[in-house]
Amino acid sequence: MMTRSDRAMRQSLGFHLVAAGITLLFAAPLVWVLAASLRQPGAPPPARIAWLPDPPAWSNYAHIFELLPLGRYMANSLLLAAGAVPLTILIASWAGFAMAQLPARARYALLTLAVVVRMIPITALWLPRFLVIKELHLIDTFAALLVPAWMGSSPLFVLVFYWSFRRMPAALIESARLDGLGALAIWARVAMPLARPATVAVGVLTFVQYWSDFINPLLYLKSETRYTLSVGLRVLQQMDLTSWPLLMAGVVVMLIPVILLFVLAQRAFWIEDQIGGVHGN
Amino acid sequence: MKYHTRYNLSLYVLLAPFLSGIVILVLIPAALSLALAFTSYDGLSAPGWRGLQNFRQIIDDDLFRRAVANSLVFLALTVPLRTVVTLGLALLLHRSRRGIGLYRAAVYIPTVIPGVAYALIWLWILNPIYGPLNLLLNATGLPAITWLVNPHTALPAIALTALFQLGEGFVVLLAGLQHIPDEYYDSAALDGAGQLALFRHITLPLVMPWLLLVIMRDLIASAQNTFTPALIMTGGGPYYATLFLPLFIYQTAFDRFRFGEGAALTTFLFLGVAALIAVTYRLLGGWGYDDSV
Repeated sequence: MMTRSDRAMRQSLGFHLVAAGITLLFAAPLVWVLAASLRQPGAPPPARIAWLPDPPAWSNYAHIFELLPLGRYMANSLLLAAGAVPLTILIASWAGFAMAQLPARARYALLTLAVVVRMIPITALWLPRFLVIKELHLIDTFAALLVPAWMGSSPLFVLVFYWSFRRMPAALIESARLDGLGALAIWARVAMPLARPATVAVGVLTFVQYWSDFINPLLYLKSETRYTLSVGLRVLQQMDLTSWPLLMAGVVVMLIPVILLFVLAQRAFWIEDQIGGVHGN
Repeated sequence: MKYHTRYNLSLYVLLAPFLSGIVILVLIPAALSLALAFTSYDGLSAPGWRGLQNFRQIIDDDLFRRAVANSLVFLALTVPLRTVVTLGLALLLHRSRRGIGLYRAAVYIPTVIPGVAYALIWLWILNPIYGPLNLLLNATGLPAITWLVNPHTALPAIALTALFQLGEGFVVLLAGLQHIPDEYYDSAALDGAGQLALFRHITLPLVMPWLLLVIMRDLIASAQNTFTPALIMTGGGPYYATLFLPLFIYQTAFDRFRFGEGAALTTFLFLGVAALIAVTYRLLGGWGYDDSV
């Protein structure tokens, strides 16, 4: 007969087996890409799945930076993301704070607006937004790529800040108001210091959004000197489709910052950690 | 001025950048798009009024019909599968235990991969000669598939790639599941309810509002996320097998400079997505308990 603890142990083992299998399934493509980026360019197709090539061709990474000004593209992407992150955090957290503080009627109207805008397919805005950008004479500038930061990059980010501020104890804000602090001062001194996880999550997602952006650079950029990494990868692809190791090396270069950033900041993504065990587990 | 009024006014000042951004980047473009849909416009000379001509022409266009059909097939393949997989993963990983952070991170990481990089990765995985997927199929004795080169398998292959980027819904459902109090399960278990009954009568109805949000969001996302994979992996081919509406809009507006037709297509896309969301809401909205926990 099985004891209770035996059964718990078996269940736990089963869980970890399934979860590890899923982890493997989701991680396999990344490991494959890394391995593929280290194969000798021009080698015949592999007969079976090769994990680490022997010897690894690290020179692939140097080679792609010679083929294309990838260093410049990378710097452009970084510059764009570095500009977008603070702007987005500022505008989205201001809006989220105001929404959390306004009377119920205004709050619901703004919540509805944010959700409706979030529901509009961005594809439907490519063309008219292109015309607006053209009217503003921003074609072929970084400003054209940075423009979405004006609305906090995504209504989702405003909502994340809103939820975060709503969860704060009302008494804290109330006492700051009794001290005669203005809205900006309360935002800066009371609300933002308590919204660290939301700020980190929005910061990471904003970085990813601008680092990954493909359609805006594709639509707005003309000069090669302004290309970002995503357009650069597209150029690399169009140069020579058969040189998989070089192309995969380019992919790895683009992946490293986002994956690193996510791994460092991932605690901010699991809401459970933010409400700190309110629901037991 | 009273402190209270001044405080509320300054809140609106904090709101101003966001609201003006929405007006300039969303509302004006949306209105502009609707107006342009009734004109012919090439971006150089002034737009000329065409009435409903653009819409009539589009409906008669075989390529448009193909793009709509492809987009609908793509949605039918991806949205239900993505929803089930996301819910399954959230159910599996919503309780904290040892190692849970690693498992959740593994599920989320494909979502942060940039679209171009993701499409290129899959272009290589699905490559019939160099790609690892066919090597894997060969190793297990299954027949190799030509994936993106074959008009019959190209669209399902792109749908397959969409199954791994579901982090956003995953996070939302994790939060939803964590809102269900443990006591509900405890008392139901005392009444002798089995696992399936617990899922059917407690978990599913209580997580339904969150699930509805995820499904509606996924409909919108899946209707437009086909652009980058289609452009990078297939260019809409072979034989228009992966020509989706966003790629068709892009080609019409920015390759052929037919902004009027592009705007009419955009209007179709917008109405189509709105209709799909309305239908989904009608079908699923009344489901679940109205229990705000």
